[in-house]
Amino acid sequence: MYKKMRLAWPFILPGLAGLTLFYFIPFVGGIWYSVTDGSFENRFVGFENYATVWQNQMFQLGLRNTMELSLICAPLLFLLSFVLASLLHRIRPAGTFFRSSVLMPYLMPSSAVLIIWLLWFDYGGPVNHLLSLLGVQRINWLLGSELRVPVVLLFLWKNLGFCVIVFLSALQSIPESLYEYATLEGASFRRQTFSITLPLVVPSAFLVAILSFVSAFRIFKEVYFIGGPYPEEPLYTLQNYMNNMYGKLNYQNVTTAAYIFAAIVFVLFGILFFSQRHALRRLNGEE
Amino acid sequence: MQNRHGIRLFLIRALLALMAIIMLLPMVQTFLYSFSSIPEMKAYMKTRGNRDEAEWMDAHLSPHMFSLGQYEQILIKDNTVLQYFINSVIYAAAILAGQALVLPAMAFGLSKFRFRGRETLFFLILMLMLLPFQVTMVPNVLTLRFVGLLNTVWAVILPMVFAPFYIFLLRQYMIALPDELLEASSIDGAGPFRSFLWIVLPVCRPVLGAAAALSFAEAWNLVEQPLTYLSQKPDLMPLSTVFNQLAGENTGFEFAGAGLYILPALLVYLFFQQDILSGIQLTEMK
Repeated sequence: MYKKMRLAWPFILPGLAGLTLFYFIPFVGGIWYSVTDGSFENRFVGFENYATVWQNQMFQLGLRNTMELSLICAPLLFLLSFVLASLLHRIRPAGTFFRSSVLMPYLMPSSAVLIIWLLWFDYGGPVNHLLSLLGVQRINWLLGSELRVPVVLLFLWKNLGFCVIVFLSALQSIPESLYEYATLEGASFRRQTFSITLPLVVPSAFLVAILSFVSAFRIFKEVYFIGGPYPEEPLYTLQNYMNNMYGKLNYQNVTTAAYIFAAIVFVLFGILFFSQRHALRRLNGEE
Repeated sequence: MQNRHGIRLFLIRALLALMAIIMLLPMVQTFLYSFSSIPEMKAYMKTRGNRDEAEWMDAHLSPHMFSLGQYEQILIKDNTVLQYFINSVIYAAAILAGQALVLPAMAFGLSKFRFRGRETLFFLILMLMLLPFQVTMVPNVLTLRFVGLLNTVWAVILPMVFAPFYIFLLRQYMIALPDELLEASSIDGAGPFRSFLWIVLPVCRPVLGAAAALSFAEAWNLVEQPLTYLSQKPDLMPLSTVFNQLAGENTGFEFAGAGLYILPALLVYLFFQQDILSGIQLTEMK
């Protein structure tokens, strides 16, 4: 609309200054820390820090746990939100109450909900009680690798709503007439799903996939809520490693760990991006 | 045929109802428990962690006797929870006020002006949005230390003010606004500033409401930022970082603390609910 750059400056400048100061400069400047040794002379050591950090056992544990938790959470979040969105879509235009109750936890502080959560997953708590009524042995949720279950569930509880709404709005933008025509032609629900619904929601699905991973990488929150500041081994995430190194004022190792993680994250998003293009091409090709 | 369809719809509704119960129960139960007396809650919380195979915790939904004791404790007698709560209010208010000043203007600049580097800048913002907090955290600590803000409230507030996600959200909405809207007002002699204030902002009401509510939710549930940026200042922590400790200590008033913390979020949600739903739906999120 407005073509003169001069006019844009007053709008952009405050935000740009903040982004530069708090995001761009630190991100680029941090690279310097990761390639120096932090001694008094602060010598340039190339990729030495990267080699050291990469071989560090605690870093490996943190990275492995972070990736494992993300790779459990993100696909679950993606699938569950698709299922819920389709169910909500099938009872449209009713279901306002269901829509707003699924979105609600997204706005709620999970920090305050954790007390109930710990109660639910107690050894003598309601979850075990339900399981034993179904004839399953009690499980000690709050110890060892079982701890991951309440963490993942708290994460899903909190983050499901937003993804459901994004999916739902994609489903709602598909014209009703397409389905009516397909039904007239005798296409089954499954056939309609594969031939109409899926191709048209691929772009939103990609967005939800990205959102799922972005939020799954924030699982440290739930880990901290349930595992506390010094969690057990199955919950020791990258963030814990970094907080630990940061506490020891070892900036070299923290920045190095951060860039290794950034590289992995970008590779992952790259894969997602290309698989979206691939999926679109295949779905369009079939028609 | 009609009958089978009916059964299927009923099953879908039953599944959704189950989901709604799971989604809402934690809040409902927190509020209900917050009205039991402190001794009752203490005794109840003591039954946690019992490894006796024969025993179950007493599973009840509502308190045995209604009492305001927990709230009296945290609001009047003992102000530790209240102090953390006030910290949370300060962070959320400052973050939202800062964002309101900076982000809509930036989104407007990125959507309705044509200039060199606009797409690059937007691409960089997208990349920032995708980065996990851990990646920007450390460099951020270094900058904050350099400008002397580490271990002050500003360390938590300032980086959040420029949160890339909301720039993205607002820009995607604004870019879909028709140019004719602005052309009409510039014919009437209004410059970009007046058009922004009097036309763009009112039209963007739903997405602004959605962004405000989502941002509030984020600022109200802060964990990573205070833990790293305020590691030397435990008394500046927001309430969200303290619940884990509260749950462990068995003070008897943890549910009133949790209820107090959920309440503002609940009000924000009820107030902005429609905006969030329509804001997300109308935004070109691709």
